[in-house]
Amino acid sequence: MTDTFTVYLVDDDAGVLKALSRLLRAKGYDVRPYSSPQLFLEEHDVTVPGCAVLDVSMPGLDGLELQRALTATNGFHRPVLFVTGKGDIPTSVRAMKAGAIDFLTKPVKDVDLFEAVSRAEARDAELRRLHSEMESIQAKVGTLTPREREVLTHVVAGRLNKQIAGDLGTVEKTIKVHRSRMMEKLGIRTVADLVRMAEKLNLTK
Amino acid sequence: MAASSEMTGTRIVWWSVVLLSLLAVESRAAEPQRVLMLHAFNYSFPATTLIADSARKQLLERSERPVEIDADFLDLARNTDADYESRITTFLRAKYGKRPPDVVITLGSAALPFIVKHRDEIAPNVPVVFTSVSQRNYDSLRIPPNITGIISEFNLDRTLALAERLQPEARRLFVIAGSGEVDRRWQANARKVIEDRARKFEVTYLFERSYAKLMEEVAAIPPDSIVIYLTIFADSEGNAFVPAHVAGPLSARSPAPVYAPYDTYIGNGVVGGYVETFESVGSRAADMALQILAGTDPATIAPQSNSGQAYRVDHRAMARWKLHASNLPPDTAVLFKKPTIWTEYRGVVIAAIAIVGLQSLVLGALLLQRQRRLRIEKLLKESEERMTFAASAANIGLWQFDRQRNELWATEHCRALFGIARGKPLTREVLLSAVHSDDLQTAAQALERSGEAGQPAFCDVRIVLPGEEVRWIRMRSRSRLEGDGRSDHLGGIFVDITEQKSAEAEIALQRLEVEHLMRVSVLGELSGSIAHEINQPLTAILSNAQAALYLLAQEAPDLVEIREALEEIVHEDDRAGEVIHRLRGLLKKGERKTEHVNINDLVRSTISLLNSELIGRDIDIKFNLENRPLLARGDSVQLQQVLLNLVMNAMDAMASTPLEQRSILISTRASETGTVDVLVKDRGHGINPKVNGRLFEPFYTTKDHGLGLGLALCSTIVEAHQGRLTLVNGEGGGAVAGFSLPVQKPAFGTA
Repeated sequence: MTDTFTVYLVDDDAGVLKALSRLLRAKGYDVRPYSSPQLFLEEHDVTVPGCAVLDVSMPGLDGLELQRALTATNGFHRPVLFVTGKGDIPTSVRAMKAGAIDFLTKPVKDVDLFEAVSRAEARDAELRRLHSEMESIQAKVGTLTPREREVLTHVVAGRLNKQIAGDLGTVEKTIKVHRSRMMEKLGIRTVADLVRMAEKLNLTK
Repeated sequence: MAASSEMTGTRIVWWSVVLLSLLAVESRAAEPQRVLMLHAFNYSFPATTLIADSARKQLLERSERPVEIDADFLDLARNTDADYESRITTFLRAKYGKRPPDVVITLGSAALPFIVKHRDEIAPNVPVVFTSVSQRNYDSLRIPPNITGIISEFNLDRTLALAERLQPEARRLFVIAGSGEVDRRWQANARKVIEDRARKFEVTYLFERSYAKLMEEVAAIPPDSIVIYLTIFADSEGNAFVPAHVAGPLSARSPAPVYAPYDTYIGNGVVGGYVETFESVGSRAADMALQILAGTDPATIAPQSNSGQAYRVDHRAMARWKLHASNLPPDTAVLFKKPTIWTEYRGVVIAAIAIVGLQSLVLGALLLQRQRRLRIEKLLKESEERMTFAASAANIGLWQFDRQRNELWATEHCRALFGIARGKPLTREVLLSAVHSDDLQTAAQALERSGEAGQPAFCDVRIVLPGEEVRWIRMRSRSRLEGDGRSDHLGGIFVDITEQKSAEAEIALQRLEVEHLMRVSVLGELSGSIAHEINQPLTAILSNAQAALYLLAQEAPDLVEIREALEEIVHEDDRAGEVIHRLRGLLKKGERKTEHVNINDLVRSTISLLNSELIGRDIDIKFNLENRPLLARGDSVQLQQVLLNLVMNAMDAMASTPLEQRSILISTRASETGTVDVLVKDRGHGINPKVNGRLFEPFYTTKDHGLGLGLALCSTIVEAHQGRLTLVNGEGGGAVAGFSLPVQKPAFGTA
């Protein structure tokens, strides 16, 4: 795996923390162990690719609360997987619903852990890719003039040029110009691609 | 010298006179004095005889000089002719003329006129002492000087008064007198006396009767009458009588009581009267005669009346006419009363009666005592039987031991208790031989204690029965305290307490069982947390092992890392083992142990079991433990159980406490009073004051799913450790539960 993937490990039990760190390091991961959620939150860097392996039951702030705290950070979803001694169903359901990669019970087998971590890694990569893609699209969208943005929303809504001209109180020809310039700025050739992009950006509605 | 001879001459003359006078006295003393008793009547006349006897006796007794007493009887009652007096006078002159008496005592009233008339013929101018002369009689005679005597008063009035007292109902009065000279004087006297009296009787005077006629008339007197008999010296036919002699037949015939003023009649059948005693007359006449003999001029001695008069009655006559002694005037002399033993031997009788009485009392008391003793013996026996029965029924044996004699007494039931065969004697040795050898010392010590202190003592010993069966016997003993504070007499009971002992053992067992169950139940509640406590090291072990494997698989294995991983495995394994060890301790059933317990260690290890539970309940736990080790003695498992319970209660109490406030503070300290205190303070709802007193009661709970045994058990356990369990509300909310145990000084060398 890549050397850049970091596993943020949070467990209040020192022995477990050390052991899991050792295991993950042996597998080649960059491991950052934290004995308390607070310490972790203080040092957590969302820009670093990686995942969080959290204990559920911890004094102060438990795993699920920590998961929620992570989700709130910068709108970026850090992949989270749980390793717990008390794998009760309600807790696991809540964790999975909140987007956990996995809910592993202690003692955790290396394969299960590695499999989950690798999935987290893939997810993280995916998320990061999506994130950068969105960022580039948004950057491109940012270059549009207000008129071009208006045209964009109408096109995505499935309006014809004539209709758009009518809506905006201009002539079809002007709309065409705006449309071609907008498509060019966004680097999109087909309307289908434009709609897909708009969906990603949540601009369709 | 001349003067001296003159003196000597005078002295001789003086001495001669004294001697002569002494000789004269001597010659007079040698010559006996003569007294003539001149009786008016004959010898058989009782009155005069009595007077003479009494006078003679008195003369002989009182006279300083020898007295010669002569007596002559004038017999004037029988000889009444004129010549008789001159004949007897001649006789007397012939008889006493040459040696005249020095004094003449006349006896009987008739003798005085005789001697007055004929004195100078018989013995001229001889002094005379008369007796039995009435005042009237005396007055009627012209008594020349040197005649004196006793004037007698025959008091008819008082005699009548006596009769009235004895016969208050009588209405008829019969008065009897004869026809002689004296009799006729009495007739007149009687009529006068009776007429002068206030009480009027129907009076019949039986005077001047012939003897036979009188007797007839007397026999016809109604019984409820009073009869007064005066004198009968002669009857109407001229027959002479001795009045006292008439009294007998007269009284015998009379149906009514007969009274008389003469002492001599008393004893002859009459009831009695107011009489002078002739003895007193005689002795007083003798006194006068003695005065005259001693040289007193008789003319200077005045006649005297006799003061020796009294009521005198004949007891036999009283009885005959059924007269009551209670009616007699006071000071009445009762004659002829057959002296009762009482009167005669009053002192002796009283003494005898007293002795007999005392003896009877003693006898009675002895009998009573004997009866009482028998009754008490019976009661005692019954009581003993009852007690023995009750004792055997209650499976109790009674015993007593005399230490000095080494003698033991024990009820038969002791045989059964000690399993001693019927033939064997119940001795101390036999009883002791049945005692379990391990308990002999205990038994001996208990006996020693009770003997010394005079205090009840008891000890429980085992008895080995012949079949090797073991029974528990409780021996209670007490000594009877004696002077020196030490007693040789011990007494007591044996009670079979085998059942009690086994019940106690059963209860102890059950309590251990319950304690164990409670521990199991507590651990059951904590099972999740405890599993977690084991799971954590297992997780660490597994991960370390797998990490090591990965590291080994690398081309250039990082041996340092591998070593660390293995060390961690060992460490974590220890950790898991520790948890399991603690758990096993808590789950183990067993007897209570007594060991040194470091309270701080106990707190830490107990709380470690609760770690994940505390985290799970968002409870912050803090410690404030004494720096130095705190040692107590006890069973660590049980003490852990107590602490576990207290902390669990604290956790439960904070179920509704806001998360950020949930915390438990456990502190330990050594108090100044020599105890180790463990306090668990929570920030929960505290203790409701209403239930405060009941929290240590079994089956009392404030929890929804509690059994109500936790605190009750904790309390029992702590008390078994000589400690105290406390539960109070803390300052600033929450409760503070805790226990204190006696501190154990660390042994030398331990820190």
